[in-house]
Amino acid sequence: MSISSLAVGAAGSRTGAARSRATATKVARVGKLVMFYVIMTAIAFVFMVPYLLTLFAAFKPISQIFSQPAWYPPHSLYLHNFVYDFSSAGFARYLANTFFVTAALTVGQVFFSILGAFAFARLSFPGRDLIFWLFLITLMVPSAVTVIPLYTIMKEAHLLNTYWAIFLPYVFGTPYTIFLLRQFFRHIPQEMIDAARVDGASDMRVLFRIIVPLSRPAIITATLIALVFGWNNFLWPLIVTESQNHYLLTTGLANFQSNMNSQWNYALAGSVITLVPLAILFIVFQKHIIRSISITQIR
Amino acid sequence: MPAATPASPAVPTARSRTGSERAAASQYGDLDHRAPGPTSRSSGLRSFVHALPFLTPSLFGVVVFLLIPVVLVVVISFLNWNEINPATWAGFTNYINIFRFDQAAHSLGITAYYVLLNIPLQTVVALSMAVALHRGRRGSGLYRVLFVAPYLSTPVAMAVIWYWVFDPQLGAVNTALAHIGIHGPDWLSSSQWALPVVALVNIWQYVGYNMLFFLAGLQAVPKELYEAADLDGANKFQQFFRISFPLLNSTLLFVLVTGVIGSFQVFDTLYVLTQGGPGNSTEVLNLQIYQLAFTDFKMGEAAAMSVLLLGVILIFSIGQFMFFRNRTTYEYSV
Repeated sequence: MSISSLAVGAAGSRTGAARSRATATKVARVGKLVMFYVIMTAIAFVFMVPYLLTLFAAFKPISQIFSQPAWYPPHSLYLHNFVYDFSSAGFARYLANTFFVTAALTVGQVFFSILGAFAFARLSFPGRDLIFWLFLITLMVPSAVTVIPLYTIMKEAHLLNTYWAIFLPYVFGTPYTIFLLRQFFRHIPQEMIDAARVDGASDMRVLFRIIVPLSRPAIITATLIALVFGWNNFLWPLIVTESQNHYLLTTGLANFQSNMNSQWNYALAGSVITLVPLAILFIVFQKHIIRSISITQIR
Repeated sequence: MPAATPASPAVPTARSRTGSERAAASQYGDLDHRAPGPTSRSSGLRSFVHALPFLTPSLFGVVVFLLIPVVLVVVISFLNWNEINPATWAGFTNYINIFRFDQAAHSLGITAYYVLLNIPLQTVVALSMAVALHRGRRGSGLYRVLFVAPYLSTPVAMAVIWYWVFDPQLGAVNTALAHIGIHGPDWLSSSQWALPVVALVNIWQYVGYNMLFFLAGLQAVPKELYEAADLDGANKFQQFFRISFPLLNSTLLFVLVTGVIGSFQVFDTLYVLTQGGPGNSTEVLNLQIYQLAFTDFKMGEAAAMSVLLLGVILIFSIGQFMFFRNRTTYEYSV
């Protein structure tokens, strides 16, 4: 405003005023744009600060963590924290366990969900709609509620303190993933399936040769959901495993943190070990993840 | 994805549909009837047998690991059971006990307070970020990615990090405050500050995720409405409050309800940051269930607490479901 009135005063003439008004809107627009970037960058900075500080700390010896503020970068590429975590704090085992359990959970969950979704989307049998409703209703049940009975089931089945206990409840497909895949499978043109059937293809063949290849985006989404869930899962593995041999990164890290006596360097390096694989996954699939979050929930 | 945001089938349709389409496909009943239905009983049986190989694994999973547990938790809530002695019938004793001795009411109150700290701020920030980013200025994509990143970060690992950030001596927060001459409190060991800090951590983690829903909602608002408002001389604020905001109603409700349901289930962050303390100032329902069952071995009381949690969450879920059921038909009928 003040710039434009100044300009008007200096130029005086009509054309000058018009030109200055144009500059004024331009200035206002640039100002808005600058404000947008300043604010957004500030927020983004707040979002990234915890990661940045942790990365710094993971490469510092404990003495530097105690003597300098967290935002001082490490003096050198000090790797001892990671070496210690992997060799003496059990993180090698936790990492391997987490990889194994997450892989088993993901493969089973996606495969069985594909089968179930196909039945609901493309087959017709008595009670189908009723069973599907039953599945949808279970979506409302929070996981915390089933923890106690599930624990007793696992105990009676003598599965406590096994890898089985950690992934068994999630490996047969989840109602949500089935729901998600079913929505996708339903939109595959019937003609393509009819054509395959005319050629004598069985249901399995139709599913895995036609529907699955055409549903790649939905299946990738289902896979990512399972991977992230398996990797981050905490309460359930905490309950069903007692020995360090079966700890995952989450349970191992929480256990380490509660016994650590201010060994922040090791705990924070442990957090980095836990977060890095997910970070890689996120960077590789960021577009897909962001798109699928908004598409799968709000359709 | 994580349990904190249960995926609900009751989601609003962000895509605007035509009236007839909407009437034809009410979101919940649009099962596929294109495939020919069974005609006689024998063919019905045959089609069922035919579907079995596909259906069995997931049906087994849902029945054994979801439905039976829900029934079991109700049964256990009426038993005297401590894992050592054989279980006996307890009637309503567990329900009475959780209110008498375990402060279920206190936990409910703490949870409600947590929701209050959490949800309004998170929603306002998520909506503002969505409004700022939805015009797709250069770089918006990158900001969006950075804001969503916390959502996928392992909550336990993040909690360890936040524990350090809020450490009274070493933590970045108090070190920074000391630089400007403020002596920061012992955040997580203060019954006054612990819960707000947990709420803040939670907001950090989920605000970008919620932003995505608002972005999707904003994208669905017809652009002509803004053009018309521009012609009528409405400014950006008027356009937001008169056009965007009313049309975001169902998105807003979805975000609020899933946020509330998620808040009722917070566990990982609290387990690492406070363990319910100091005192019992952060002892939410979920944490109580865990402690009753696995440190006190009072399975019956823990189950009663679980049923209480289930009841509270069902009220919200069913409320949301009813709302959207009556709602989707009229949506965007501008």
